[in-house]
Parts: sequence; C-alpha cells; structure tokens
Amino acid sequence: MLLRLVWSSLVRHRARTVLAVLGVAVSAAMLLDMVMLSSGMRASFKNLLLSRGFQIRLAPKGTLPFDTDATIGDATAVSSTLRAISGVATVSPVLGGQLYVTRGDRTTTTIALGIDPSVQGDYEIVAGRSPRSANELVASDDFLRATGTKLGDTLSAAAGFDPQLRAVTGRRALVLVGRAHFIYMAAAQNAVALPLQTLQQMRGEPARDRVSLFMVRAASNDRVDRVLAEIERALPRVTAISTETAMRQVDERLSYFRQLAVILGAVSLGVGFLLVTTLVTVSVNERLGEIIVMRAIGVARGRVVLQVLLESTAIMLVGAVAGLGLGLATARYLNSILASFPGLPAAIDFFLFEPRDAWTALGLLAVVGVLAGIYPSWRGASLPIAVTLREEAVA
Amino acid sequence: MTAALIALLFVQAIDSTSPRPGPRTIAIDDRLAADAGLKIGDRVVVASSPGGLGDTVVVGAIMHGRADPSEVARSEYRARMHLDQLQSLAGYGDRVDRFAIGTRSEPGADSALRAINSVAFGFRAHRSRDIAVETSRTFLVVSRFHRAIGVITIVASAIFLLCIMLLKVDERRRDIAALRLLGISNRSIIRGVMVESALVAVLGSAMGVALGWIASLIINWHYRGVYRTPLAFAVVTPGIVELAVALSLVLGLGAGLLAGRRLVGQPPLDLLTGRSESRRSSRAAA
Repeated sequence: MLLRLVWSSLVRHRARTVLAVLGVAVSAAMLLDMVMLSSGMRASFKNLLLSRGFQIRLAPKGTLPFDTDATIGDATAVSSTLRAISGVATVSPVLGGQLYVTRGDRTTTTIALGIDPSVQGDYEIVAGRSPRSANELVASDDFLRATGTKLGDTLSAAAGFDPQLRAVTGRRALVLVGRAHFIYMAAAQNAVALPLQTLQQMRGEPARDRVSLFMVRAASNDRVDRVLAEIERALPRVTAISTETAMRQVDERLSYFRQLAVILGAVSLGVGFLLVTTLVTVSVNERLGEIIVMRAIGVARGRVVLQVLLESTAIMLVGAVAGLGLGLATARYLNSILASFPGLPAAIDFFLFEPRDAWTALGLLAVVGVLAGIYPSWRGASLPIAVTLREEAVA
Repeated sequence: MTAALIALLFVQAIDSTSPRPGPRTIAIDDRLAADAGLKIGDRVVVASSPGGLGDTVVVGAIMHGRADPSEVARSEYRARMHLDQLQSLAGYGDRVDRFAIGTRSEPGADSALRAINSVAFGFRAHRSRDIAVETSRTFLVVSRFHRAIGVITIVASAIFLLCIMLLKVDERRRDIAALRLLGISNRSIIRGVMVESALVAVLGSAMGVALGWIASLIINWHYRGVYRTPLAFAVVTPGIVELAVALSLVLGLGAGLLAGRRLVGQPPLDLLTGRSESRRSSRAAA
C-alpha cells in the first residue's frame, strides 16, 4: 500500500518527476566522475609504478626520476653497494638521453634509454627480442613509424652535435632487434632502448659511469621499508624513493585535480539535494489535503514521514542508476582530454573505474535522498489535523 | 643577446664571517631565502653535487617568483649566477642550453631566424611566441577539461531551471486559468511566463557572479599559498560575466517558453478545477 502511494505520487506529475530524475542523473554522473578522478589517478599511478615489480627508485639528490637532466655519478660503485644490501633482489640502472637517427637525408630525434637488458623494467617486448650485444637496440612503434624502419635494419645513430666542427658526436651503427612497448613513455613518443654501456660511450665523457636512476626490487614487499632505510644510510648522496613516497609527491603536484574533484563532487550533491528537496516540498504542499485526511483516518505520523522519504530516495536512486551510465561515458571523454597532457605516461588514467566508486556514489546519493526528504516529510507529518482540514476544505 | 645554462646545484649556508676574499654574487628566489633563512649579504657554498667541492658566493639579490604557469607545480628552488661560474661548477665547458636574441624590429626577427637556421648545425632558432605556444600545451589541456566540465554544469543548470519553472507555473495554474477565461491571449500568458523566467535567470546569474567572484578570491588565496606563486588561478572577467548572464538568459527564456506552452495546452476549466490532475491521479492509483 505504502509503495503504491509513493508510485501514485511520483507519476501524478510525470514531466516534473522525469525532469527531477534527469537532473539527479546529471548530478550523479558528475559525482561518479569526481569520485573516479579523486582516486583513479592515484590507483593508476601506483599500478604503473609497480607494474614491473620495482618498489624503490634512486634519483640524483633532491630530484624525482627524470625530472631534471641531473645524473648519479660512480654508477658502478653505487650499483655494487645496492647489491650488497640485504633484501635487495634486483638493481636496474637506467640512463636517459637523446639519440639522433639519420636515414637518408632525414634525422629523427628519439628518447634513448640505456639499460641492462637482463634486469630492465622499462619496456615489454612486443616482437623480436631484447638487445644481447653492444650494438643492438629495441624501439617503440612510434619510432618505427617515424623512421620507416623494421626489425633487422641497421640504423645510424648519434648522441649529439658539435656545432663548431659541424659534425655529429658519438655516432654508432645499431641493429634493430626488437619492437617494444615502453611502459613509462607518453603516447606518440619516439623511444629506443640499448645497452647502458653503449649509450654511455656514445654520450662520451659527461655520461661516463653515470646513470639517471636506479630501480630496485626488494626480495619481498614487507622488506621495502628496511631496504629503503639501508639505502639511505649507505648512499646519502642520492634520493631513494619508495612507491608510497613517489605517490605522495605526485599527489602534491596533482593536488589541484583532487581538490577540484572534492569541490565539484560536493556541488553535485548539493544540486541534487536542492532539486529533490524543492520538488518533494512542492509535491507535499500540493497534497496537504490528502495527507491530512490520511492522518485524520488514523494513518500514523511515521508512515507519512516514511512515504515522503521513500519518494525523495526513489527519485535519487533512479536518477543515480541512470547517472552511472552517463558518468562512465563522460569519464571516458574527460579522460581522453586529460590523457593529452604533454609528457604524461600513456598508461596513466585520470578516471579509473572501480566498483567501489560506483557504490560510493550510489551510497552518497541515497544518503542525500533521505536528507532531501527530511524537511518536506517533517512538514507533512507535523501539520495540525483539524486546522489543516478546515483550511483545505475552504480552499 | 643573453645566454643561459640550467643546472642542478646544492646550496649550503656558511658562516658569514668567513675570510675568503672577493666572492661573486648570486640571486636566489624568495622561497629558497625563506626556507633556508637566507638574506642579502649572506655567504653560501654552491656545488654541483651534495657535499662536493663548490664555490663560495654572496647572496646579492632575492628574486620574487614570476607568475609563470609552466612553473606552477614545480617545487625546485631557483638561483641565478654568472654563466662562466655555472659552466665551471657544472663541468659544462664552453656550452650553453640556449641563447635569447633580441632584434630591433619584427621583420628583423624573421630575417634573423632564417639566417640562423640556414647555418645552424645541432641547434635551431625558434620564435619566442612559438615556444610559448608549445610550453602552454598543458594549460590548453586544463582549459579543455574545464570547458567540458562547464558543459556538464550548463546541462544540469538547464534541467534545474526547467524544473523550477514547471513548478512555478504549476503552482499558479488557477490564476492563469482565470486570466485565460477573462480573455487574455495564450501568447500574452506565454510571454509573461517567459519574462518571469528570464528575471529568475538574470537574478540567479547576478547572484552566481557574486558567488563566483568570492570563490575566485578564495581559490586564488588558497592556491597561491599552496604553490607559492603570484599567479592568478581564477579570474572573473567581463567576458565571462557576459557569457554567463547571456547563457542563463537564453536558458531562462527557453525554460519559460516550454513551461508556458505546457500550461496553455490544457483547457482553462481543467486548470481551474484541477480536473486534469485528478484524472492523472486516478490513472496512477488504478
């Protein structure tokens, strides 16, 4: 009976109810997007950092990995020190730089990573194999497209230019042996990877025995903190960053988006609340006669309250369910906009859907639906029966 | 023409009574000065590696941070020093990262650009405005994101406004029925509802502008503190106000038109007696 009354009340003004549900759906879509934005970026970044199992990164003192051109000196000694630390399973050194690849009369600039192929964590082989000898390299699809090369080709690459002698420096002939997906690279980024010593030799004296960062894999996750403390004690001239620290620093840099998510999420809830409160209040005002007759024939005050609360919650929940689909579609669109940030790794998603996000949005909207019904239900239930009956009869 | 070299340095404060003769000066940014407790005249050691050998220099100037969007999320401190000293400290040799070239006139810039690029080897000359466009790509992305959020907000506002207008005209259906029975034309009634709706929209947008202006003050105060920059993060310009008011006026008129047409589409007697509503209730109950 109660549910039938709720249904009758909602369908009495169909246009109004449909508009209210639509309004709540847009608010719910925005709320879901903002919940996804506030947590998705973090989760996506964590997945990226841990994708190859390296929990610690070492960068030059005071910097984040690849944030500046600074490098770590005495790389061989640092590497030995790291390997000697108890709990360290793998140490992967990486040197970043640029290579200039010439084919015919065209020169293509690419990011180059000097790595140890046996322990590298920067790429996954898609076709071919990793470099086995000094003069071999793997490249990204974008690089292959830009240069028009294929596996097995020999490339002429240089590490720099000498404007005074009008000659390239560090020239090498390198054989392309693999096609790779570079995990941390931005979309449409030319990238190649070659053995660390080869890149160091090509870059010459400034890169001799230097690397841009070390990636360290601890033997187990519960030993990460202990290994980190050991590294900081043994190597005070580098900055050791755990995944948690890296995420904190990224959080600081991208705090704008989290705060925007909180503000817009709150505004969405506020708009939904106002919309439903207004509609249900007007609906109750229109039905004062009906409500007071129900009270007069003995319907309990609590039942009237419950009916009005059910109406507001029903509008909120139906709108929320419709809004979830809309939210996923808009999140996809908004993500495609933010994915074009220059230099952002292609694997990062700002809007990452997790079922928990949908439940959070749904729960918040249900709570707001109940809150939105409190005032009109209190108004309907607290009317003096005799006076209201007389007034409604006169009206 | 100026040359610039950028490198990572480590600054360490030392006893200002140190007797070393004739140190050179550097300029540091106000964040570094505040965080390290440095003031003009203090002596510091600058080195290219932490704890490594470096040069003693005197803080000669403290620079205020620029309102540069490309540096807003970066937390590094900035120091400016003599080029030859930095080249020597960083082991860079006779190299620089870039040259900035000033020309006497705009056409001079074009010819200088062509002349430099015709002989360039290993470097390239770019117009400053091209570099500005390239470095502001991040903000173009943020701007597109804000526009998309704005469109969603407009859709939500339009639905909200339409709901409110439907409620308002529903509340006054008896008055409107009486007007129609007195001979007032449908067109006049629709026009009246539209004017009322436009007034609600304009009044709402005026309040929104005031609210937006207050919000922009809070946003600027907050983010200037967070990022330690004089950059303005939110600005309410006359163009934005005009757009907001015009948009809400159009939405208001549209909502008024829809609500008014819905009202005049029903027979006046039904509106007066609430018969159409009773019919809907009976159908719903059935």
